[in-house]
Amino acid sequence: MITAQHLVYRYDPKDAPVLDRVSLEILEGQYVAVIGPNGCGKTTLVKHFNALLVPQDGEVLVDGLSTRDAKAHREIRRRVGMVFQNPDNQIVGMSVEEDVAFGPGNLGLAPAEIRGRVGVALETVGMLRLARRAPHSLSGGEKRLVAIAGVLAMRPAYVVLDEPTSYLDPAGRERVLNVLWDLRQEGISVIHVTHSMEEIVDADRVVVMSEGKILRDGAPRDVFREADALRAVGLSTPQVTELMGRLRALGCEVRPDVLSVEEAFREISALVGTGTGGGR
Amino acid sequence: MKTLPLGQFIPGDSPVHRLDPRVKILTVLLLSIVILNSGAVEGLVVTAFLLAAVVLSGLSAGRIAAALKPLAWFFVLLFCLHLFFTDGRPVFAILPAVTHEGLERGTAVTWQFVALVVSAAVLTMTTAPSELVGGFEKLLRPFNRLGVPSHDIAIMVSVALRFVPTLLEEVERMREAQVARGADFGRGGLIRRLRKMATLVIPLVLCTFRRADELALAMEGRGYHRGPRTYLRELKFTRVDYAALLAVTAFLIGLEALRFLPL
Ligand SMILES: Nc1ncnc2c1ncn2[C@@H]1O[C@H](COP(=O)(O)OP(=O)(O)O)[C@@H](O)[C@H]1O
Ligand SMILES: [Mg+2]
Repeated sequence: MITAQHLVYRYDPKDAPVLDRVSLEILEGQYVAVIGPNGCGKTTLVKHFNALLVPQDGEVLVDGLSTRDAKAHREIRRRVGMVFQNPDNQIVGMSVEEDVAFGPGNLGLAPAEIRGRVGVALETVGMLRLARRAPHSLSGGEKRLVAIAGVLAMRPAYVVLDEPTSYLDPAGRERVLNVLWDLRQEGISVIHVTHSMEEIVDADRVVVMSEGKILRDGAPRDVFREADALRAVGLSTPQVTELMGRLRALGCEVRPDVLSVEEAFREISALVGTGTGGGR
Repeated sequence: MKTLPLGQFIPGDSPVHRLDPRVKILTVLLLSIVILNSGAVEGLVVTAFLLAAVVLSGLSAGRIAAALKPLAWFFVLLFCLHLFFTDGRPVFAILPAVTHEGLERGTAVTWQFVALVVSAAVLTMTTAPSELVGGFEKLLRPFNRLGVPSHDIAIMVSVALRFVPTLLEEVERMREAQVARGADFGRGGLIRRLRKMATLVIPLVLCTFRRADELALAMEGRGYHRGPRTYLRELKFTRVDYAALLAVTAFLIGLEALRFLPL
């Protein structure tokens, strides 16, 4: 479990805090989406989860280890893997496989064990084929997958991803999201920072941030029901949710918490079939 | 093209490619000593040795020539300096500056440099950069106790090599962006051109610092710490490597020893 208690952080002591008494619990195996407008403190928050930042006030505990304890940092970083926003700046190896081997090498594992882990990690993200390629010759989506594999080779219990689909084309995005889904199936906790609503309708939990505070924390269905609150901080709901909202505004009897095209289709076809004179 | 100067690695499966990088590095070191000490006879033997290495490694003459080409003017200058500024017996009566001694010295010195470059090129063309770094690291490892941080040096070098193509891409992107806004890098006097280059250098430096910052965080996040670590492939001598190292060492030391024999 990752626990944040009354977490406060400022980059500049003169400014208002970037994180203002944030409290949060993330259970093992949970898929948690963190959303919020640009600059609301998402990146700052998740950097606390693997002790890259240490709270100025309050506390962050990873499976009971406090990030204030510098001696625990190595263990915390093994448990909590972090995939940054720009994959170019986190790939250190001269080839894909060597990059994935960097973390296990830091753990001092034997070469045979490293090879095993590199193979499994690359397999998981579907990049085994490109194991020998140079990083700069990969597409943006492939670089992301390598960055994820590099973290998986550490066998983390939690993987934090900071906007893992930004700058990707739809196909690359799809691949990354599928990998995240697989991780969750394997029981790894995924903490997915994003500002795209469409990506997180399947999350176990959505944490909505605004100006350094947590605005909402709950199941996607419950969070999206309050479309107005989201719009007020500059976030939009998924398009199908939006569509249902507009239909409701017209007086149609549809559910307000629709998340998928499938659900929307059911609602609309029920509407067309029964009430408002179907088949017009 | 995103290449490093001096012989970029050319993947292959030749006997030279397959040798342990440490054997190749040590050979080049020994060979350099011999080259710098050699007279005419040793020079011929070393030339034959280098030719054999090139043939064995399956590198084309064109590749070797490409490695030498950037230094062509340097070789010509070196040769001419010795040719004209060595005292001795003139070759032509009308051109007293050109001496037999000058011709000899010029040829010998130029040959030394060409041979050094060729031997380094064979090494870098047949050894993947990561193997090269790994080889140096392992050769330096016995000096850890004397305070040589072999592991840290290896990480530094490999991260630097990893980022060369990325930074070159960045320069290209910035240049294109400025050209799109009407900059012209090809025109104007030297000062104007330099000034235009500066418009690239400053953003590049800033950008590189930001990258380095993020990279340091990412490395820390993946458990990086100074000191010993382990690698995907731990280099290991095979019987062929031992044999090759023994043969090459014996050959080159023998060649050097010849000079001290009264022949
Ligand atoms: N290294 C830094 N130094 C100073 N201010 C920063 C730094 N990183 C972020 N900030 C500021 O902190 C706030 C939150 O940033 P960040 O956590 O990156 O937000 P998000 O990831 O939600 O876009 C922003 O106002 C940003 O300008
Ligand atoms: Mg961010």
